[in-house]
Amino acid sequence: MKLKLFNDKLKSLTMFLLLSIAIVSTAQSQKTVTGTVFSAEDNQPLPGASVLEKGTTNGTTTDFDGKFNLQVKSNAKTLVVSYIGFKTQEVAITNAPLVIKLQNEENVLEEVVVVGYGTQKVSKISGSISTVSKKSIGQLSPVRAEEALQGQAAGVNVISNGSPGSKPVVLIRGIPSYTGTDPLVVIDGVSQTLDDLNALNPVDIESINVLKDAAMSAIYGVKGGNGVIVVTTKSGKKNLKSTFTFDSSYGTQNVTRTIPVLNASQYAAILNEASTASGAALVFPNIDLGVGTNWQKEVLVNAPILSHNLTVSGGGENTSYYISAGYLAQDGVVGGGDKSYFDRSNLTANFNTDITKDLTFIINTNYANIKNSGLSENNIGSVLSNALNFDPTVSPYDANGNFGISNTITQEIKNPLALINDTYNYGNTNKLSGKLELQYDVIKDFKITSRFGYTYVDVYGKNFSPLVFYGIGHNSTNAHEDLSPIVTIGSDGTITSTHSRVSESKTNFFSYTYEMFGNYNFKINEDHSFETVLGLSISKNQGENVTANAEDVPFNSWEYADVSAATGDATSQTASSWQFIKRNLSYFTRINYDYKGRYLASFTGRVDGSTSFGKNNKFGFFPSASIGWVLSSESFFKSKKINYLKIRGSYGTVGNDNINPQFSKISTFPKYTFDGNIVSGSALQSIPNDNVTWENQIQYNIGFDIKMFDNKVSLTTDYFNKSVSDLLFNPTLSLYLGTPVYPASNIGKTKSYGVDISLNYNNTFGKDFHFNSNLSFTKSTNLVKQINNGDKFIWGAGYGIPFTTLTRFEEGFSPGYFFGYKTDGIFQNQAEVDAHAVQNGAQAGDIRYLDVNKDGVINDNDRTKIGDPFPEFTLGWNLSFDYKNFDFNVFTYASIGGDIYRAYERNLNFTNRFAGTLNRWHGDGTSNVEPRVTFIDSNNNRRASDRYVEDGSFVKIKNIQIGYSVPVSYFKRSGLTQIRFYTQIKNAFTFTKYSGFDPEISSGVLDTGIDRGTYPQPRIYSLGLNVKF
Amino acid sequence: MKIYKNISLISLLVFLTSACTNYVDFTAVENFEITAEDYFKQSSNYKDAVVGVYDPLQWLYMDVLIGEIASDNTLSGGESATDVIGIQQIDEMTHNANNDDLTSLWKFLYEGINRANYLEQNKNKLEFEGKTALYGEVYFLRAYYYFELVKFFGDVPLFTDKRLTASDSGTLQRSPKSEVYAQIEKDLLDAISVLPTSQSQKGRITKFAAQALLGKVYLYQEKFTESATMFENIIGVYSLVPNYESQFLKTGENGSESVFEIQFTNTSNWYDWGFVPQGSEGNFGVQHNGPRAYSGSLFASGWSFNVPTQDLYNSFEAGDSRKDASILDMQAWIDATGASYAPGFKDTGYFNKKYIPRAGESGAQTELNYLNNYRAIRYADVLLMAAEANNRGGISDSKAQNYLNQVRRRAFGDTNHDIIATGSTLTQIIWDERNFELSMEGHRFFDLVRTGKADTKINGFIKGKNEVFPIPQQEIDISGLTQNPGY
Repeated sequence: MKLKLFNDKLKSLTMFLLLSIAIVSTAQSQKTVTGTVFSAEDNQPLPGASVLEKGTTNGTTTDFDGKFNLQVKSNAKTLVVSYIGFKTQEVAITNAPLVIKLQNEENVLEEVVVVGYGTQKVSKISGSISTVSKKSIGQLSPVRAEEALQGQAAGVNVISNGSPGSKPVVLIRGIPSYTGTDPLVVIDGVSQTLDDLNALNPVDIESINVLKDAAMSAIYGVKGGNGVIVVTTKSGKKNLKSTFTFDSSYGTQNVTRTIPVLNASQYAAILNEASTASGAALVFPNIDLGVGTNWQKEVLVNAPILSHNLTVSGGGENTSYYISAGYLAQDGVVGGGDKSYFDRSNLTANFNTDITKDLTFIINTNYANIKNSGLSENNIGSVLSNALNFDPTVSPYDANGNFGISNTITQEIKNPLALINDTYNYGNTNKLSGKLELQYDVIKDFKITSRFGYTYVDVYGKNFSPLVFYGIGHNSTNAHEDLSPIVTIGSDGTITSTHSRVSESKTNFFSYTYEMFGNYNFKINEDHSFETVLGLSISKNQGENVTANAEDVPFNSWEYADVSAATGDATSQTASSWQFIKRNLSYFTRINYDYKGRYLASFTGRVDGSTSFGKNNKFGFFPSASIGWVLSSESFFKSKKINYLKIRGSYGTVGNDNINPQFSKISTFPKYTFDGNIVSGSALQSIPNDNVTWENQIQYNIGFDIKMFDNKVSLTTDYFNKSVSDLLFNPTLSLYLGTPVYPASNIGKTKSYGVDISLNYNNTFGKDFHFNSNLSFTKSTNLVKQINNGDKFIWGAGYGIPFTTLTRFEEGFSPGYFFGYKTDGIFQNQAEVDAHAVQNGAQAGDIRYLDVNKDGVINDNDRTKIGDPFPEFTLGWNLSFDYKNFDFNVFTYASIGGDIYRAYERNLNFTNRFAGTLNRWHGDGTSNVEPRVTFIDSNNNRRASDRYVEDGSFVKIKNIQIGYSVPVSYFKRSGLTQIRFYTQIKNAFTFTKYSGFDPEISSGVLDTGIDRGTYPQPRIYSLGLNVKF
Repeated sequence: MKIYKNISLISLLVFLTSACTNYVDFTAVENFEITAEDYFKQSSNYKDAVVGVYDPLQWLYMDVLIGEIASDNTLSGGESATDVIGIQQIDEMTHNANNDDLTSLWKFLYEGINRANYLEQNKNKLEFEGKTALYGEVYFLRAYYYFELVKFFGDVPLFTDKRLTASDSGTLQRSPKSEVYAQIEKDLLDAISVLPTSQSQKGRITKFAAQALLGKVYLYQEKFTESATMFENIIGVYSLVPNYESQFLKTGENGSESVFEIQFTNTSNWYDWGFVPQGSEGNFGVQHNGPRAYSGSLFASGWSFNVPTQDLYNSFEAGDSRKDASILDMQAWIDATGASYAPGFKDTGYFNKKYIPRAGESGAQTELNYLNNYRAIRYADVLLMAAEANNRGGISDSKAQNYLNQVRRRAFGDTNHDIIATGSTLTQIIWDERNFELSMEGHRFFDLVRTGKADTKINGFIKGKNEVFPIPQQEIDISGLTQNPGY
């Protein structure tokens, strides 16, 4: 690095001398204007900016330090300063050196965005995209890049999760498909997946573009069905001196909401009532037990989050580079950092070299290491679920310092602190990804790109299940109180024992994409512009895993938990492995045409072949087309207020190949026992469907872009409509076919439609006050139109023990809706029970279920739609302004209309209950909301019903950041160019009627909105520092 | 410069030409998977596939539980009124077509049939030594699965020539019970003609097992003469163990009284709750029968399902050794040993002692790996069925008495309890004896139904409806099958 710096210095010096000579030689009786040009956004000096004496051709360009020195006529008053990507500015000439700050031209029409296999001028795009800039990402400082899309990119729904480093649900324009909704992620031209974003340091991101409609995503064909997220990482600029940035922040996280549950005395009283109601004796003869233990307080902790990033970028005559190193550590607020953390180290190096005048070589390399450990979450065994349901009369620790034990709860649920203590796992991921790319300029405007992109991931995982004690007779106990194994002697003298267990696994993923394509741009008669692309893509994606298990870890201790150290006998040591492979071969083309930049047309086509598809349908073709009309360029368009107006429309198809290769598989898993020994057998496990083919998603999009009032206000609105007529999923076939896996078929139809709106207002008041407000609106409506599987539906997710299925993907409904009984208050007396439809087991105090089908009987057939987890619409509002050295940003996100199903209530006889139970029915007229408490729930009051459905609408102030940049004059001599301090509050406030921890609940599309004790997103207070030099 | 140009052009050409379409073909061996096309080329493939046909026997724990819970012998139990709602409803006779336990049972039985059919379909691909006898096992198993189906559901879809594929979905209708029985008889006769009388491996099906099952199938159809004759083949081949209780212990497995026994072991090292009962080699039913939160010697905790009633416990005659061998009187046990347990739903204080979790008899994930074999056909059962056939068929009451008294002598340890009744009095005594001998073994409900006593014995039993269980609703919706009357 030092060498590089030296080199740069040398170069600057040389340049300076040359310029000086030039100036001296042309010196006349004129005055000299000096100054420095900065980028207003980041206070970076801008080298190469053009400085012109107004009204003349006399001018110069700035040097590496953004400085200029210009001889002007003595009566010259104004300079015109311009630079690509910035607003041109006129500056009055003064005698003092000028400090000129150019405003970033984000709205400028000549802005170029990265699309599939090339770049395009925003003004010439007739499809639909959303863009998130590095500025927005910087203001949010997210752990994962998807966070920056939430509410900022219209048309994208992000449902975040609070668990450190976990993947959110990302939906681009609805849920058209059943077989996965993750959009394709393209990082610097290389196809990756949403999972890969966990390894990308958001600091390295230059921009994120979301390709929303078929016109934009069809170039990715079969992969483009769920939209495409195009991520461009930072790179250096040629002829720019090395710039270092250092960012550091430290924060503390906490959970702000807890769920009201019964305290010890209330619990005892309610249990007594439940017990006597079922004819049994009092459970607690004395109910004066105080408040007991608040288990939520015991498991929720304040946890730190910190990050450090160091980047350097710059470039010489022929090369440019960007290098960054980052470290992020986030501990979990549930259970604390010993057992729940996400630590990521990143190293990124992006180099561009002009090998010759015509040939450019680009090498981008990103290395990430992730270390993580986690506790069970959002399921019935999770820490929070245990904390909510465990016995409040138990102390966290007993007199001997051991974990407190419940005498009455003997299955599944345990002291959550003991559960945290007994959870041991560790993951270590090493990931190397990047690309090698050659760009060859064959002739002017004809470029061939040859690109090899790769991702190599190596994941190591370890899991230790120690011997545990949760009380004698507890079904999870497998050790004596002193944690020695339980040894039993059978009737014939054979000895068996319980064991501690350890497993280790190694998983490798490797994928590569080789692409070669040519871009040729040409004009006919000046007015007809063409931009064309033609290319092919070959890709392979494979993974393999080996897992080893062993028993009897020395000292029952995590320290010794390793297969190599385990002492169990040979039969207890087992190993397994799996692997997959998938290949695609594709050809693609795009032709963009415009007439005078006024009439736009584009055609895209891709032919895709995939190993996933049946013999008879290996290849598919995905065409799309779009047109646009820039009305504001027409001569008849005279409006002064409207600076720019474009209307556009697109129509096309994209696909989806999210299924596995198909063949008739003989499984050797089946086994039987002869002579007491296990004997391996075989059976047919799956059969192929030779005709299976892609989902063809037909999309159309219409929209307009408008800019008004000197480009201060811009509005983009799109309406989209997607329909899939050959939805892929595993059919439900006749049960008499047995238990094999039947192949995915193209047997369904879905439809999604909606509106995305993005409204931006950008203004500068006076000299020092810059204001930016951006509003994005996303609405999509999804409908499953047809499912040809006999049942007309597929069960999605559920909850509980016994397992209760809840969500459905069903014909005529929105995907993933909640299915269950509708309640109609509480039976106040036996007369009401008798008057109602036959409801087996019901008595006074039980829930009255609605006889939906009016057949006089309450049974499974009365179940119906009781909720929909997906919001009607979401809204993001990003407001930022800066005044002098202060900057301020607040981001608000609202999700309106989604339902949440409260599934964390366990409802066993001795589990704790929720505060609402205090309003239970306990006699005619006492309650029409909460049923009676009883140990014998013959009415099954806890069946899936709208009793558990709550409005999950929320407004969250997701981010507040206030920054202060220290005036440059204070540290001028230090060589630094920027020092900025900031304070940030993430997830500052949540406004919702929902009673749980967090109304944002994500764990897969058909599993959205089921709160089994979801991991809440913590509020994070942090302080940070940005330094540039 | 020229070099780069050439390299670029050459690589472009190479990729364009080499990127031919077979790049996206897939062969299963890339993932080290065996395909059906490459199978049935060695005799070991056939032998393995036969093991695969045995496999679903281990998934049928629920049909044993239902055989008792649906009857007057036991109550559903469990943790609460909603714990395994399917069997709670069956206990109350309020079950309907949406019953996960019945749906699984239906599916599992048909998986067994499809696996057997797959061997039938591939029968002629290879000849090897022992093939004929091996197919005897296949036919027995198919008959066993179909017999369970007709017992539970009455008329069911019948197919024997091949494993069904996706395109066969929804193409079959229910065949009359008589046709299914005819197929069961044919399969068993085919099996009997080729099976050996003894097998080197315990747990493999013998000719005698096939004859015993066929005798039972005849009896269910009230073909008494055929039944009695068939049972004669087995009488004397097996012997009753002197100590009744001993045969239900681990040491009593595959003993001299065992005619057909479904095998389990605790050595499969199975931990996965997500693939039960198919994954484990253990008997999952056993876990269901155990006392809740048990602490004490000999036994282990379970889920307190399938709890025997006071009436059943009291029904035994004084001096009948089977009473306390079949049923655990928990209070007496607590008094004697100081053990404790947590009463579950519908607690009676009694537990199924024949299939109770015993300490140390499981492994890995304790709940999933109990080693207890299920004694599907015991010699005592054969004697009682033979007695019934001889009596009801009017063939020989003295033979019937003889067989019955063999069973009673073992139970009481003397000849003082011998039966000398004849005719219909004897019939009723044999039927009652069946429950003393066979309670908790999954036969009671089907015995009550076939003898026409179900409506008098079972609360809530509706005649003309509850003799069979409902066809799973899912199957009706997908395949368009008719439902049983009353459901």
